[in-house]
Order: sequence, then C-alpha cells, then structure tokens
Amino acid sequence: MLEADSLIQHYLEGTLTDAEAEELHTRLQNDAQLGSKLLQHFEMDAMLRATKPLAVPGKVIQPALMPKRRFTFATVTTVAAMAACIALMGAWMAMSWLKSDVEATTASVAVLTRGVNLEWDSAAITPGTPLSPGLLKLKSGIAQIEFYQGARVVIEGPAELRLISSGEATCTHGKLSANVPPQAKGFRINTPKGTIVDLGTEFGLDVNDASAEVHVFKGEVELHKAAESMKSLKEGQAMAFAAESQLRAANASSFASLNEIHARTALSDHSQFERWQAQSAQRNADPSLKAHFDFQDDESARSLRNHAYAGEDGSIVGASWTTGRWPEKRALEFRNVSDRVRLSVAGETKALTIAVWMRVNGLDRSLNSIFMSEGWGDRKVHWQITREGHIRLGVAGSAGKGHVDYDSPVFFTPERFGRWMHLAVVFDPTAKEVRHYANGALLARLPLKDASPLKLGIAELGNWNDRRTRSVAIRHLSGAMDEFALWDRVLGEAEIKAMTK
Amino acid sequence: MNIAETHAAQVFLAHHDFVKGVALKYAPWPGLMEDITQQVFLEFMAKESKWDLSSDARPLLATMTRHIAMRLWRERTRQQPEVVQKLADHIRLLAEERETPPRYEDEVRVLRSCLQKLPQKSRELVELYYYDDVGTPQIAEQIQMKADTVCRALSRVREKLRECIQQSMNQGGHAHA
Repeated sequence: MLEADSLIQHYLEGTLTDAEAEELHTRLQNDAQLGSKLLQHFEMDAMLRATKPLAVPGKVIQPALMPKRRFTFATVTTVAAMAACIALMGAWMAMSWLKSDVEATTASVAVLTRGVNLEWDSAAITPGTPLSPGLLKLKSGIAQIEFYQGARVVIEGPAELRLISSGEATCTHGKLSANVPPQAKGFRINTPKGTIVDLGTEFGLDVNDASAEVHVFKGEVELHKAAESMKSLKEGQAMAFAAESQLRAANASSFASLNEIHARTALSDHSQFERWQAQSAQRNADPSLKAHFDFQDDESARSLRNHAYAGEDGSIVGASWTTGRWPEKRALEFRNVSDRVRLSVAGETKALTIAVWMRVNGLDRSLNSIFMSEGWGDRKVHWQITREGHIRLGVAGSAGKGHVDYDSPVFFTPERFGRWMHLAVVFDPTAKEVRHYANGALLARLPLKDASPLKLGIAELGNWNDRRTRSVAIRHLSGAMDEFALWDRVLGEAEIKAMTK
Repeated sequence: MNIAETHAAQVFLAHHDFVKGVALKYAPWPGLMEDITQQVFLEFMAKESKWDLSSDARPLLATMTRHIAMRLWRERTRQQPEVVQKLADHIRLLAEERETPPRYEDEVRVLRSCLQKLPQKSRELVELYYYDDVGTPQIAEQIQMKADTVCRALSRVREKLRECIQQSMNQGGHAHA
C-alpha cells in the first residue's frame, strides 16, 4: 500500500492509477486531516510551478496524465507586462470565437401568481409556477397569470387557454379578464372567432361554443374578426364576434376581477391555514414523532417550540422571521453563513422519516443544508441539496466503513426557486430502501446499503456545524422553512401525501 | 491596442495572482489553474469595454474566475475515469468548503524568498521537478533511489516551504526556510 505522500504526489503529478484514486478517495473520506494536507500540497505545488523561470534549459518530460498547457501564465504575465500588442491583438482576434458563459435558460413566458380552489384537467400547477407555451385546461377555480410582458389575466374555470408567447395567448373556451398596463400594449388574445389586440386597458372575454364577447372596462381594444375590417371598442362598450353584432354596454360584474381574486385568495389562504392548524395538532399526538417545529412561535422568540412529546425545543441562531406558506403562517429565513436552528434528537433510531416545508432561494453552495447532524461519522445523517439540484441523504458509516450518499434525480431547477416545496425522506430498513419525496410524490427509491441504526444527536436546520476547529465547511441554506418534522418510523406514501394537501 | 485596452490589461495584471487563488479554490486539479487564468484573461479583455475599471476589479474577476473554473473543471474531469472523477469531486468540495479565503496572492510573493533559503539538495530537487519538468520516476532513476523516497522528499520540501511562508507571514518579517 502506498504512503499518503506518494498518493498525493501522484495526484499532483497526474499519474494516479484508478486503484490509487480509489484508495486516496477512501482515505480522504475517513481522514479530514489528510484532506487539509492534500490541499496545502496542491496549493504549494501550484505556487512552485508559477515560480518557474521563463527559460529553463534541460530535458522536458510531459507527464502522461498532466493536461497540456498552451502556455504558462508566466508567459502571459511577461507578454502583457511588456504591453506586447501582438499577444493581445491575438486575443482580440479570438474574441469572435470565444465561448460565452453557459447560462441557465428558461422557456417560460408567464407565471401563475395566484389561484383559488384550482382544479386542472391539464397538469396540476400551483401559484409561483413559471409557465411555458402550451395549453392550460382549468377545470374549476380562478387563476391569475402574469405574462412576462406585463399583462395580467384572470381565468375562471372551466376554461382553456393556450399560452403562445409573453405577449399572446389563445382562449378557446371560458371566461377571462385582462389588465394590460401601457408596457404590455399590443397584448393579443386569439379566439376561434377572431383576435383582440389590447391598446393598454382592462377588458373581459367570454368564449363559448356559440359565440365570443368582448367587454371593455377601461381604455380601448381592437377587434379583428375573420373576413371583416378591424373594429375599435371603447371603455364601457361590449360586442360579440358574430357578424353584424351591435354595440352593447359592458358588464364588468360578470367577470372575475383582480380585486375579486385578491379577496378570494385571502379567504382561501385563511381556510388552508386553519386546516393546516387542525392537521398539525393531530400529528403531534403520534408517539413516533421525535421533533415537530411548526414555526408558529412568537416573532420575538429565539427558540422554537418542539411539539413532539418529550422533544427538546430548538434554538434559533441568526435566522430571522418571515412569512410562510400563507400570510398567517410564520417561517424562518436562512440567509447568512451563521443562520441556523440547533436541535437535538436523542438516542438511536432504526427507521427514520424527515419532512420539511421549505422555500429554496438558490443553491449557492456545493452542499446546501436542510437537516444535518453535527459533525460526521458513526451513523450520522446529512440531508441536503447539492448545487446541481439533487436532494441527498448522506449516511455516515460506522466502525471505519465509508459513508453512502442517497441522491434523488435533479429536483431543484431555477423554476422551483422561491416557491414553497414539501420534501420528505424515508430511511426504511425493512424494505431496505431510502425514498425521496417531493410535494407528496415519490421522487426516488434507492437500495439501502447499510441498514444499521442511525444516530442523529445534535443537529442543525439550514446549516452544519462540522466541529472542525480550523476549517469549517460552509453549507448554509439560502431559503426559508415553515415546518419541520421527524419520526423514528417509516411513514407511508399516503401519510406523506396527506401532509401536502 | 488603444488606451482603454492597455488599461484593462494592466488592471488584470495587477490582479493575476488573485485570479489564480480563486481558480485554485474552485478547480483544484493539477495544471488547471494556468488554463483558467489564461481564459479569464482572454474573456476579461474580450469584454473590456463593459467593465467599470475605476472601481475594485476583484469582485468582477472573482465571479468570472469562478464561472470559468467550474466550466473548465467540468470539461477536464469529464474525461477522467469514474473513480478519478469521484476523487476530484471530493477534493473540490474540500477546497470550496475551506473557511480560509484564497491566500495564493500573498503567499506566492513570500515563496520566492523562502526558496532561496532552502538547503542546496532541496533546491536542486525543486529545480529538477518543477523547473526541468522531470517526473518523480525519472528523478528516482537519476539519483538511484526509490520513487516513493522522491515523493516523500518533495512532500517534505513543500512542507518546509509552507512553514517558512507561515512563519514569515506571521512575523511580517524575513522568510527563513
């Protein structure tokens, strides 16, 4: 077996064999000091290479696995320091083929901002969801959609709306009202009977099998009927798309307005909050519940009440109070490196279920903490999100065994940032599985490699105390939590789904 | 090259060691630091007219370096066998999670004087390996020793240099190897 010095040297030289890479990886996992040592040697190695004089006579051997260098930075420094135009002009000429940074992109054109009693015939969507071009089939309820160009549209189910672009949609069935600010002037709604072009206004549209009617509440719209000349409709006027139809008085009361959706959303939020309160209280009676923070503590509180029987309260460090899923629901915002909630879960547990309602603002760190045992090793548990968006349950080995990471497929993409999500993970020693859930749906089912009991001990929400003194890993969460619960048993799919209702 | 372009190049040069430090943190892969620095240089110059160079360029360079480091890191490690990729990911995580900010910029200045203080044999080893690009197996052959012994010797030299840099920076005085 090679010494650590030799393994590190082979890494630096780029000559590690696969077996040596595996060996070094294992040793690094089990020895934090070796990691620090490797990084120190790596940095010193890089600095020593940078001190190389520009011209050194002698044999040049390019190690097999070392990446080929186009030229050393010492060359760049010298060339540029001399303001040698030649090299820079070369860079200039290269501009055209320089690749730009790879940026995340989105195809979305609008966002669902509010919803009341929504039931969908198309894929279910919740407020906060960015919408890409496609068909929305609302079975019942009221949905408010904001187009990226600025137009706000309220649709009442049953309705069918096809999003075409950030400034255009087609309504084939149902009622909608639109508020089009000056910035969104030119917003178009197509119907089977013709097209409406908005000139900065508020209007209502009622499309049914027999006809389509436009009611203008404010400003002016253009009506483009098939095979007819354009008609202009002013404030207070209404007209059907049918041929030879006459002008009528607009009837605002037959359309859901933005004010109405505000009022109905508030009512719906309140009733959902009350329903949650009732369910939450029921959950507290479960003897397998080891921790339950509902985050409904006083806003000046710096400790979190644990509603589980005999559970210890949590301690808030840094995190500040904010609004949760509903206006009456409180939550903690984790923003800074220091923000966290400290808690403790005593004893060993054979099975485990953890669930959280959280809003992720972004994945700033390589690993972003949800719930993490303090330190690492000896069956501790780390529940976190990787920068790439995988949800990871990491379980440390015992007696020198390596740890195992149970990763879900990528779940957190930019479209999911800023929205409340329910996550759950189950450690099931009977089925020998780890299962990840998101918003009540099974996300991943992974074979359990080591079913030994877990030891959670002191842990943190939204951060990690790794207990190393000199170098402390930064894994804080950028986001908020408004409910956290932990059971020492396996919760079934129905129970997890019920938490998301 | 016009005046603005010359100024941009000077700004970059004034910060090139800072860029290297950031590159090391986000892409701890042998040899990658120079490629990253070179790419940052090219992209910084390509968009020179966009930058406000009257203010501190470090935040801008740090962001650019981080993006480029991660891009090149992905490109480079993707070509490696899976076991090496896993190891590389682990090391990158360790580097990124270190609380200490990149110290390259300060340390590389002190390193040169520390090198002068090394014993003759150690200095020869540094020259052979780092300046003449002779690999450890070839050095072992030349000096008729085991390759592991050369690895250990290089490791000791780097540790000695680290101690010297640390001592010098703590005292704010002359370096002693």
